[in-house]
This record gives sequence, structure tokens and C-alpha cells, in this order.
Amino acid sequence: MVIFSSLAISTNFATVQNDTHRENLASAGLQCLLKLDSEGNLSMYIDNGNWTALRDCLSLALPAGVTFNLTVYDELMQSVNTEVLSNGGFSSQEIAFVDYTCASQGQVYHCYIIYLYLAVAR
Amino acid sequence: MRKQEDRLRSKACSGQLLIVAALSIAVLISSTTIYVYELGREATHSLSQSMNDFVMALKQGTRNTLISSLANVSNGGNNTVLEANLNTYSQLVRRPNSLGTCNLNFTLSNTTGYDSGTCLSWSTLSIGVSSACADFTMHVYGASEEITADYSTNITTVIVLNGFYTTLAGGEKLVNLTCHVSNENEPALAKSIDVFYEDAGNWTLADESNNLFIKDYGNGTYLVSFTVNVSSEVVQISTHMHDMRNIFVQANTNATLYGT
Repeated sequence: MVIFSSLAISTNFATVQNDTHRENLASAGLQCLLKLDSEGNLSMYIDNGNWTALRDCLSLALPAGVTFNLTVYDELMQSVNTEVLSNGGFSSQEIAFVDYTCASQGQVYHCYIIYLYLAVAR
Repeated sequence: MRKQEDRLRSKACSGQLLIVAALSIAVLISSTTIYVYELGREATHSLSQSMNDFVMALKQGTRNTLISSLANVSNGGNNTVLEANLNTYSQLVRRPNSLGTCNLNFTLSNTTGYDSGTCLSWSTLSIGVSSACADFTMHVYGASEEITADYSTNITTVIVLNGFYTTLAGGEKLVNLTCHVSNENEPALAKSIDVFYEDAGNWTLADESNNLFIKDYGNGTYLVSFTVNVSSEVVQISTHMHDMRNIFVQANTNATLYGT
């Protein structure tokens, strides 16, 4: 009974820990997008199609060892980015997801929906 | 007799062992329960953090929408733009996402000076204001928690002018104009500053022919100097400025002879 209880508890512990890691990763991703957005750079890079700058900013702002894959959609959920925005393949099973709605600061108003997938490189 | 005593002692020992084992298991179960409870609390805290981030992202979105709309309206756009843009944004954030759904309602400011959430006050002497303001109520319905928040967002660009002139040897006037630029009451940088002066009823752009010089102090203060050849006692100046967010603001001032 003791062995069974221990096993049950450790399984629960592992699940909770995985969820916490995933939430922390998602939070780091959201904070990163938020920082870029508050400076008006996020929508500016998207408006200008400056995908290289956006990829470089994310690579620099995210914690070391975190891989990402980002897709930008317009209001009609049509993909906007013309090239893959990623810094490597996902080898981890722990993938966090961030859904971010970005409003532009430009004189011509645009809204973008950003899907950001994050994983810790193994 | 001795055998019976040994049996009794061994029975007492096994009883003690049982009690110790039961206590150990109880301690083990209690500590595990506390540990799991603490972990659960951490997970709940983390979820609240995600919700806080989500609310922050929404506030940033509404702020950006106000900036975009004010940039549009102050550059000649229709003042219905703000309402249309906020409607677009609130419809987009209403779709379900990983944290839940959000219902965002807004009321555009219509207080003194504001019309449909925007205010362009460019006629007060020496001060120009471009502003957008709205009140928001958001309801976020998450899987395990709900948040209702009321907040106001105000985007305001202000330029304050202070000018005087000195008379040069040839009768020309050297105008010195100080401009203070601010965004939301904080010193801010200007993207462009154009200075006009009135000459015989016409507004003329000051340029290189007027020895135009603009010094940027980097703290929202700009010193503009230029020479003019006008006969009037007072030099009327109009300043047109775009801030770094492309919000336009205009202000007029009168430069008088220094020391008068």
C-alpha cells in the first residue's frame, strides 16, 4: 500500500511540475512579446515584414536554451509571415503555447494574432 | 515459566514496533500531503501570474489602439476611427484562447474638450495638446478563475512653447524658441519639428535661409533659433510637431523682444 501510495504521489508530483514548467515558459514568452509590444516594435516589424529583426529580437529576449516557433495571423486568420520564424527544432515534449493579440501603434491600424510555441532545447 | 515471559516480551516488542511503524507511516503521509498542498499552491500562483500577464497584454493592446487612433486623427483622420479600432480589437480578444475568453467593453471620453474620445486643443496660446482617452471594463473568464477590471487609458502629447527675440545689427530679428515635449506628462522626444512664422499675413516655414538651428537636449526640450526679417513688434510663431509615435500636435506663440 505504501509503495502504491508513493507511486501515485510521485506521478501527481511529476504532472504538477511539468505544468508549472510549461506555465513558466509560457509566461516568459508572453513577457517577451509584451516587452516588444510596449515599445511598439512588435507591430512595426510585422507591418514592415522585417522577420529577421523579429526573429533576432525573440532569440535575444527569450532565456538561453529556449527554442521558439512563431506564426503571425491577420484578423481573418490568414498567415502573415512569409518565412518560418524559428530558432531551431523542437526536441522536447514540454511545449508551451502563447496566444497574443497585437494591436499596431501605426497610423494605419492593424491587429495581428500571434501564436508562439516554446520549448526547452534538450 | 521463562518461555512464557519471553513470549510476553516479544509480544510487547512487536506491539512497540507496530506503533513506531504506524507513526512513521502517519508522518510520511502527513508530510507528503503538505508537500503536495504546497506544490498545488505554487501551481495556482503560477496560473494567477499567467492571468496577470494576460490582463497586462490586453491593457497594452488597448493602449496601442489609442496611440494608433490618435496618430490617425491628429494627422487629419476622422474622429470615428478610435471607436472603430477599439471595436476591432475587442472583437479579436473575445475569441477563446488558452486562458479563457475576454469581454472588453469601452466608453469613449466625452468630457470637456473631448469628442468621441479624442481631443485636439491647438488654439491655446503657447500650448498644444493632442489626446485620446477611454474607460474600459474587462471580464476575463478563465478555466479556474475570473477577473473583472476597470481601467482608464489616456494618451496625451503636449508641446509647450516659450519664445523671445533679439534684434540684430541689420534690423533682423533672432528668434529663440524653447519647446517642451511630453507624452503622458513625461518628457518625450520629437520625431520632427517644423517652425512657421507670420510674415505680412502669410505663414512661412523657417528653413536654412533663416539660419534655422534646432538643438535637442535629449530630455524633451528643444531650442529652436532662426532669423526673420519682419517689421512687426511681435513675431508670431506656429510650431508643428510629430512625436515618436507619429502623433501630431500644433501650438502657436508670440515671441516678444527679449527683456520686455
